[in-house]
Amino acid sequence: MNNLKKQVLIFQLNGEPVEIFADPAESLLTVLREKLGLYGTKAGCGKGECGACTVLLDDRAVNSCLVPAGKVQGRKVETIENLSQGGKVHMIQEEFVEKGAVQCGFCSPGMVMSAYALLKENPQPNPEQVKVAISGNLCRCSGYKQIEEAILSAAERLKN
Amino acid sequence: MTLKTPEKSTRRYGKAEGTDYQSPEVWSKVTGKAVYGIDHAMPGMLHGKILRSPYPHARIKKVDTTAAEALPGVRAVLTGTELESKPFGIAVEDELPLAVDKVRYIGDEVAAVAAVDLQTAERAIKAIKVEYEELPAVYDPAEALQEGAPQLHDNFPGNVAWERELERGSSSAAFAGADVVVEESFTIPAIHPAYLEPISCIAVDDPYTGITLHTALQSPDAVRKIVAGALNYPLSKVHVNGPVMGGGFGGRVYGNLKVYILSAMLAIKSGRPVKIQLTREEEFTAGRPMIAAAIKMKMAVKSDGTILGREADIITDNGAYSGQAPWVSKTLSERNDSVYRIPGIKTRVRLAYTNKIPTGQYRAYGNQVANFATESLIDMAAKKLGLDPLEMRLKNCVREGDITVHGLQVGKCGLSECLQAAAREIGWDHKKAGHGYGLSVAIHANGSLVFDKNFRGASALARLELDGRITLFTGEQDYGQGTHGAFAQIAAKALDVRPAQITVESKETKTAPFSTGALAMRQTTVGGKAIQLAAEDLREKIFKAAAELTGEPVTMKNSVLNTMSGRTLELGEIAYHYHNNTSGLNLTGEGKFVPEESDYDESGYGNISVAYSFAAHAVELELDKTTGAITVNRLVAAHDSGRIVNHLTARGQVYGGVAQGIGMSCFEGCLFDEGRMANATLADYKIPTALDLPEIDPLFIEIEDPVGPYGSKGLGEIVMVPVIGAVANAAADAAGVRITDLPLTAEKIYQAMAGWECEQ
Repeated sequence: MNNLKKQVLIFQLNGEPVEIFADPAESLLTVLREKLGLYGTKAGCGKGECGACTVLLDDRAVNSCLVPAGKVQGRKVETIENLSQGGKVHMIQEEFVEKGAVQCGFCSPGMVMSAYALLKENPQPNPEQVKVAISGNLCRCSGYKQIEEAILSAAERLKN
Repeated sequence: MTLKTPEKSTRRYGKAEGTDYQSPEVWSKVTGKAVYGIDHAMPGMLHGKILRSPYPHARIKKVDTTAAEALPGVRAVLTGTELESKPFGIAVEDELPLAVDKVRYIGDEVAAVAAVDLQTAERAIKAIKVEYEELPAVYDPAEALQEGAPQLHDNFPGNVAWERELERGSSSAAFAGADVVVEESFTIPAIHPAYLEPISCIAVDDPYTGITLHTALQSPDAVRKIVAGALNYPLSKVHVNGPVMGGGFGGRVYGNLKVYILSAMLAIKSGRPVKIQLTREEEFTAGRPMIAAAIKMKMAVKSDGTILGREADIITDNGAYSGQAPWVSKTLSERNDSVYRIPGIKTRVRLAYTNKIPTGQYRAYGNQVANFATESLIDMAAKKLGLDPLEMRLKNCVREGDITVHGLQVGKCGLSECLQAAAREIGWDHKKAGHGYGLSVAIHANGSLVFDKNFRGASALARLELDGRITLFTGEQDYGQGTHGAFAQIAAKALDVRPAQITVESKETKTAPFSTGALAMRQTTVGGKAIQLAAEDLREKIFKAAAELTGEPVTMKNSVLNTMSGRTLELGEIAYHYHNNTSGLNLTGEGKFVPEESDYDESGYGNISVAYSFAAHAVELELDKTTGAITVNRLVAAHDSGRIVNHLTARGQVYGGVAQGIGMSCFEGCLFDEGRMANATLADYKIPTALDLPEIDPLFIEIEDPVGPYGSKGLGEIVMVPVIGAVANAAADAAGVRITDLPLTAEKIYQAMAGWECEQ
C-alpha cells in the first residue's frame, strides 16, 4: 500500500540470505508468515504476551511479533522450519513427542525454539533454568510438565 | 523420520498395560507444519471484520454505511436491519447475527464488512457511522434481578434468562435434625478458556455444495445445525471442515457463533470466501467465558459428620446473551450433590442477564465452580465438629451401588480409594508444620443423556483400505487430548493390529458420522465404545470374507490371517478380494453405541449418564504471612477413570487440567469496569506459566468399568474439578481464615488474616 515507507531488507533466514521489500515497522512475525510463507511460527496475541511466535535472532529467543522488520537487517533469523529437514527432525522435537509434550500443538513451535535457544546457550540446564527459559511461552494444555521433561531429556542426550 | 514408541511411563499406581502410543499428527505440530485456522487461506479470499458496540447498553438510532461501501476494496457490508434473521441460540434463542434495535454489551456486533485485505476491512469498519442513544445499564446479576433494574430483553422480563427451584428428599427435615449447620456465600468470577489460538473461520459459499465453514470446532455438527438455522439453509447444505485446533477446553464446543454466521453471510453477499479472525482482545471482550457465580450454600450435619442435607441459592451471571449458560448453571447447581450421600437438597438457581460479555462454558461445565463452595463447607463442618476432613469425606462419599440424591446410579466407583491414595501420597498423617493441607473430591458424568433425549450415543465406521490399513470415521474430535490416538489403540486391540496401521478421520462433517462432539467428557466412553463396536464388526466381516476366499475358517494375529491348513493372508488381500467381488466397495464395520433409555423424569431426576468418573485431589501449600501469598508446592491428583487407555496422554490431561485449576484458584478471572473488561490481554488475564505451578502427581486408580471400551472412562474434564476446593481448603488451613471469593490472591488472604473488613 504505502510503498514510500518500504525498504529493501537483507538478512540471513534459516541459513540462507533473503531479500525482501517491506515496511521496516512491520513485525518480523508478519514478514515471516505473510511475506515469506513461513506459517510454522504462530501468532497468539501480537503483543509479546504468549510466546507462540518465538524465533531465534542471532541465536537468542525473541517474540517475533515485537521485533520490527527493520531490526533484522544484516542479522541471523532462525525459525521452526529450520529444525526439521526432509524426513529428519531435531532431537528436541523427538523428545517433545516421546514425552507427550505436544497436545494442541499451537505453542509447540515457539516452545521448541525457546528450548533450542536455551540448549545453545546452556547445554546442561537444571529444571529451574528450564522453567525460566520457557516462562515466556504460554501453554494452556499441558501444565508444562511433559515439556520440561522433554527439554531435560534432550539435554541429557546432548551429553552423550 | 521414524515414529518411535516412547519409553514406558513411570507410575506408582495403576497397571503397566496399555501403551503410550501417540497419533502421528504430533509430528506435524511439533515441526510447525500443522495448518491451524489462523494459517489457512483460500484463493480469492476476502477478510472480514466486525464493528462492535462501544456502549454497554444503547439504542441504535441510525447506521450509515455509505462511506464504508464507497471505499475501494470493500466487497460487502452488512447491518442488522437488512438481515431478515430470526433469533438463534444454543439453550435460549436470544441472539441475532447483528444488533437491530439495541446493543447490550461493549463488544456487541453491529455491522460486518468484507474487503480485499485486513487493513481495508479495518478502515471500512471505522468509516461506518452509528448513532446511539445510551441506556441505563446493569452489571451486577443480583441487581439485575431486582425490580426497577434496566431490562435487557423484552421477552425475558426481570432479566431472568433461566431459573430453577428444586427440592429432593426433605431438606427442611434435614436442617431441623442437624447438630451443626454451616453456611457461607461464595463468589467466582467469569473464567476464560484462553485457548492459545484465537478463533477464525473461512466461509465458502458454493452453488453446488452450499456453505462450508473452515473452522476448528469441538462440536462441528451442533454448530452446523445452528448456522443452517440462522442462514435458513437446509442442513445438508452446511458443512464444517476443521483445520487443526489450537486449544478448546469447552470454549470451542460452540466457539463463537457470530463469527461463523457472519463470515457465511459475508461470503453469500460477496460471492467470495471470507475469513474472520478474532484478535486476542476480541477473544476477551467478545468471547464466551464461563459464567460467574454467587453461591449461597448451607449444609446440615450430624455430630458424627454425616451429611443430612444442603441448601443453595445461586445467582449466575449470563452476560448479555445466553449461550450455554442455562445448561452450565444446571450442572453447576447440582452435580456436586452427587459426590456425597446427601439425603435431601433444596436449590434455587437464577441466571441473570447483565450488560456484560455473553458467556459460554469451560472444561467441567461449572462443576468446578460449585466444588469451591461444597468442599469449603465440608471443611468448615469438619472444623466445627473437630473431625478430620479426610474422615468426614470418607464417611459421606458415594460408593458403588449408590443412587444419589439426583438419581445417578453409581456403578464402579473408586472414590474412597482415590481419597485414601491422595491423602497417603500428600502425607496427610505426617503433615509438615506450618504448611497448609486441603482435600477435595469430584464426580463427573461421561456424556449426559439429557443433553439430547433422542440422541444419546455415538456411531463410528471402520473401513479396511486396499493396502490393508484401517481408517476410522468418527465425529469425535481430537485437539490434543489424545482422543484419536486412544481410538486407534482401541480399534487396534479389537482387530489385533498395530495402532500405527490406523488412521482416524473426523474433521469433515460431509464424511464423519454425526456426533455430539467433544463435550461432557463423553468421547472416550461413548465415542470410544462406538469405535470398539465398529472394529469388532469389521473383524467379523474380515473373517467372513477370508473364509469365503479360502474356503476354510480363519484366525487373525498381529494383522495376519491364518487358515486351518496353514495358509497366511495379508489384510490387503482380503480387502482386494471383497473390493473386486463387490465392484468397488470396501469392507466396512459399523459401530453403534446406543445407551439404554434412562428413566429420568421431567425434573431431571434419574441416571443421566452411562458412567461416572471420580477424583480426589490433595494439596500442600505454604503461606507467606507477611504478604498473604500462597505457594502451592504439591498437588496429588488421584483419579478413577476406569482402565487408562494411554498413560502418557492421560498424565498430560491431569497436568494440564490441574494447571487450569491452579490458575482459576489463584489468579484468573475476568474483571469488569462499568461493563468493560478491564483485563482483556494475556498479560492482565494471567494464566499459569511454567513458574506458577506446583509439582503435580497423577495417580490412576484403575477400576475397570463395564460400559466404556475395555473398562475405560472419561478423564478430560474432571481433572480440573477438585483443584479449586483442595487449594481453598489448604489455604484456609494455612491462614486460619477462609477466603470465599475467588481467586485466592495475596491481598485477600492478607486482609482476611489482618481482620480487615473489605468489600468483595
